[in-house]
Amino acid sequence: MWRVLRKLAEDRASMLGLCMILLVVLAAILAPILATHPGDVNQFHTAIRLSPPNAENWLGTDRMGSDIYSRLLFGARITLTIAVVAILVAVLIGVPIGLIAGYYEGLGSDILMRGSDVFLAVPQIVLAIAIAQTLGPSIENVILALSVTYWPFWARLVYAETRSCKNETFVEAAIALGCSPWRVMVLHILPSISSSIIVRTTIGMGGTILTAATLGFLGLGPPPPTPEWGRTIAESREFLPMAWWYAAFPGLAILVVVMGFNLLGDGLRDVLDPRLRRAARGR
Amino acid sequence: MDADLITVRDLRVSFASDAGIARVLDGVQCGIRAGEIRGLVGESGCGKTTLARAILGILPRNAARIDSGTVMFGGRNLLDLPEDRLAAEVRGREIAYIPQDPSTAFNPVFTIGTQIADLMRWKSPLARAANPPSGRARREADLARVIELLRLVQLPNPEALLRKYPHEVSGGQRQRLMIAMALLPEPKLVIADEPTTALDVTVQAQILKLLKQLARERNVAVLFTTHDLGAAYEICDRITVMYAGQEVEEAPVSEFFDRPSHPYTRKLLDSLPSAETGLRGIPGEIPRLIDPPAGCRFNPRCERASDLCRTDRPPPEPVSPGHMVRCHHRLTEFSA
Amino acid sequence: MRILVLVVNRMVWFIPTLLGLLAIVFFISHVIPADPAAFAAGENASAATIAEMRQRLGLDQPMHIQFLRYVMSIFTGDMGNSIYTGRPVVEDLLSRLPATLELTLVTVVVSTLVGVPLGVIAALRRNSWVDHALRLITIAGLAIASFWFAILLQLLFSMRLGWTPLTGRVEGWGPEPITGFYLIDSLINQDMTTLVDALHHLVLPVATLAVPAAATIVRFTRAGVLNALESSYVLYETAMGYPRWQIVWKYVLRNALIGTVTQIGLIFGILLAGAVVVEAVFDWPGLGMFAVNSILNSDYNAVMGFTLIAGTMFIVVNLLVDILQGLIDPRETR
Repeated sequence: MWRVLRKLAEDRASMLGLCMILLVVLAAILAPILATHPGDVNQFHTAIRLSPPNAENWLGTDRMGSDIYSRLLFGARITLTIAVVAILVAVLIGVPIGLIAGYYEGLGSDILMRGSDVFLAVPQIVLAIAIAQTLGPSIENVILALSVTYWPFWARLVYAETRSCKNETFVEAAIALGCSPWRVMVLHILPSISSSIIVRTTIGMGGTILTAATLGFLGLGPPPPTPEWGRTIAESREFLPMAWWYAAFPGLAILVVVMGFNLLGDGLRDVLDPRLRRAARGR
Repeated sequence: MDADLITVRDLRVSFASDAGIARVLDGVQCGIRAGEIRGLVGESGCGKTTLARAILGILPRNAARIDSGTVMFGGRNLLDLPEDRLAAEVRGREIAYIPQDPSTAFNPVFTIGTQIADLMRWKSPLARAANPPSGRARREADLARVIELLRLVQLPNPEALLRKYPHEVSGGQRQRLMIAMALLPEPKLVIADEPTTALDVTVQAQILKLLKQLARERNVAVLFTTHDLGAAYEICDRITVMYAGQEVEEAPVSEFFDRPSHPYTRKLLDSLPSAETGLRGIPGEIPRLIDPPAGCRFNPRCERASDLCRTDRPPPEPVSPGHMVRCHHRLTEFSA
Repeated sequence: MRILVLVVNRMVWFIPTLLGLLAIVFFISHVIPADPAAFAAGENASAATIAEMRQRLGLDQPMHIQFLRYVMSIFTGDMGNSIYTGRPVVEDLLSRLPATLELTLVTVVVSTLVGVPLGVIAALRRNSWVDHALRLITIAGLAIASFWFAILLQLLFSMRLGWTPLTGRVEGWGPEPITGFYLIDSLINQDMTTLVDALHHLVLPVATLAVPAAATIVRFTRAGVLNALESSYVLYETAMGYPRWQIVWKYVLRNALIGTVTQIGLIFGILLAGAVVVEAVFDWPGLGMFAVNSILNSDYNAVMGFTLIAGTMFIVVNLLVDILQGLIDPRETR
């Protein structure tokens, strides 16, 4: 474990990613303290609408005269909440399905996996749009749409890893010693495939945030006046080219957090993924 | 010593790894005469493949480093030659190569014919002729040579074979193809790196016989690395023994088996299974190449070792003409 | 013969996947909503309309009957009518298909032409500054929100610099529709002005879509080339003195591209997903814009129709890629 962390700390790209994530996480946690106009999530100041960045409003104001900087900070809370909860649910659905389908061989497993293949056969954003559209715009529904869309990724991954893990000596030994299937899955297989799950989850965070922002942009996200980043960009379009800051900063925030997760995921994969490591050592 | 075709002097190569720097070749000396079949034997990890690859200049560029030494061939030091000249003038032309595993050495997504045609495009002896034929004529002449050589290595139906993909032919056929490809450019030296390890025992013997016969007919020298003393006995004129990155003994094949002078060679021969003794291993372990023992690297496993062996590497000393040993306490006929 | 076996083998999985897709869309449209009839009738429908709709759609029938009827109607090309345009959804979708295909196909070509050489260069100069820079750029390219990038491009190149048109496929009317692909139609009509204009309009949408697509291609090509460079056959080819350029650009590249071709299916998915928002930003009259408008109008049948057609296209492309891969990889015998 320490070896992994040390290797990760040596990789500049991963550290950059980690810093980007921490930046957004801190922004979300400390939003009420860091915000210069914490009330602006719900308050309007139409007199100063669409002012460019200045000493009072660091990143300018929006069409209602609210402070974009403050709204961005609170937007981080929404983005991270959506992504973390959606991924958590997806992992909680996908991992058990993958474990069970991988452990027991038979018709049931095949049906489960073919089912998740079908989900993977549709572009995620398209499926998420259909679900979110049916359910109506709200945070909970976006989370639901994303979890339903993304769980097959973990099911597929865990299934494949479990299948290959089942033939390893330590699992065969555990089975031979009479451990219950439940015990073998949770205590023997799960820990040894956890690094793949961690890598997949880190990279999945980035994709989920992008999809969530896209839903927001399309008007399928949480309704106004929620300071959701994607929706803010959609709002800004009618005020271009004048109010460039209105569109620029929320998009930059999305870029930073998604890139952070992608960089970290990339670095984690290099350090953790045993298959890649083996391949690299092979020569 | 009469004129060597290729002379390796004081070659030192190290590999960088996570655990540290491994000194894989430690001052290796070795000369190969024109037309001779030379065996390079030793346990795995002794540096035979590294030596073979160092001569060809195909060590992994980022991991391996040549610390010192020369490889003299045709009046020039190959280690000083720039990469593009090595590729154009030496590799596949004067020095050809037969790889360990013929199943992975062919490119899987091109037909055998394409791969041979590309080889002939760059390495055909016709390109070196005083008055080379051009274009179509040259390609037709090359094709005729290819077909002829494929017949010589006893491959049935060569024309059809050329249209096949590598995975469509057997392992033995692939290795015959590799031998043919090594001989097509009419090189002076063929480096065969454990050419039969990946093959069935029955096929091994045929391939070795074929290699020996063709090399003799064409007066091509062969550097044949192997850990199989039986195979070396079959085809070699002389044998060099390597231990942990150092060459320890070099002898004509009959002397090698009858009068081994280095304690390691002796133990290697003793480890061959026989009716009287059964299987016998060599006591001790192969030394780690990171931080290896000083002096003679065999000293921790040698019952004859003295303090001198632990500090100074023995110089090469002649035993008889063509027989050289590096040992402070070499075996004589009476001490065995 | 080999091709036939290959196609049949791949097709076996095609039909169940398609049925699975239908099941998902059916579930979303008929099971999740509390009252699908109200949904299908639209927001402002009266109680009488809803009741009529319920009966007409057979929503009073048991679930499995409903599903069978649903599958039957889809296979006869009936996805219901769009509440907004009043026309059958199938017609609306088909009339917009060429615009999206033109956009995505041009993007595939552009991102391949950019991505493959960059991927090879990154692999050849592994761990150099070029490689590190490309790694950062491709990760950023995959992290960028395409709707935001599209807006920035518009802001800079259309609004500030005036180099490119802001929206649309051409100025005024398009060429006489034959295939629906403006580039091809204007070529057939020998209308160079329209051709240039259409190309001009393609620049920004293609640039937006090509960023994540090219980034994906760069990463896969790099990995494929690195893998091939470390293989035994490259060692052999080097040892036999094949010229370096031939080893890299012929022998290594062919092997690496077999892997990259597989990714085209994935890339097509990225593009289709990207098209939804990019078309909306550039007013590109394709499937994506249709979908976004349908969302805004709560045009339920239209959204489900889009989901179905996008999913089907994705499955079909993956099928084609699978077959293509089987054809170009001689080791693939099944």
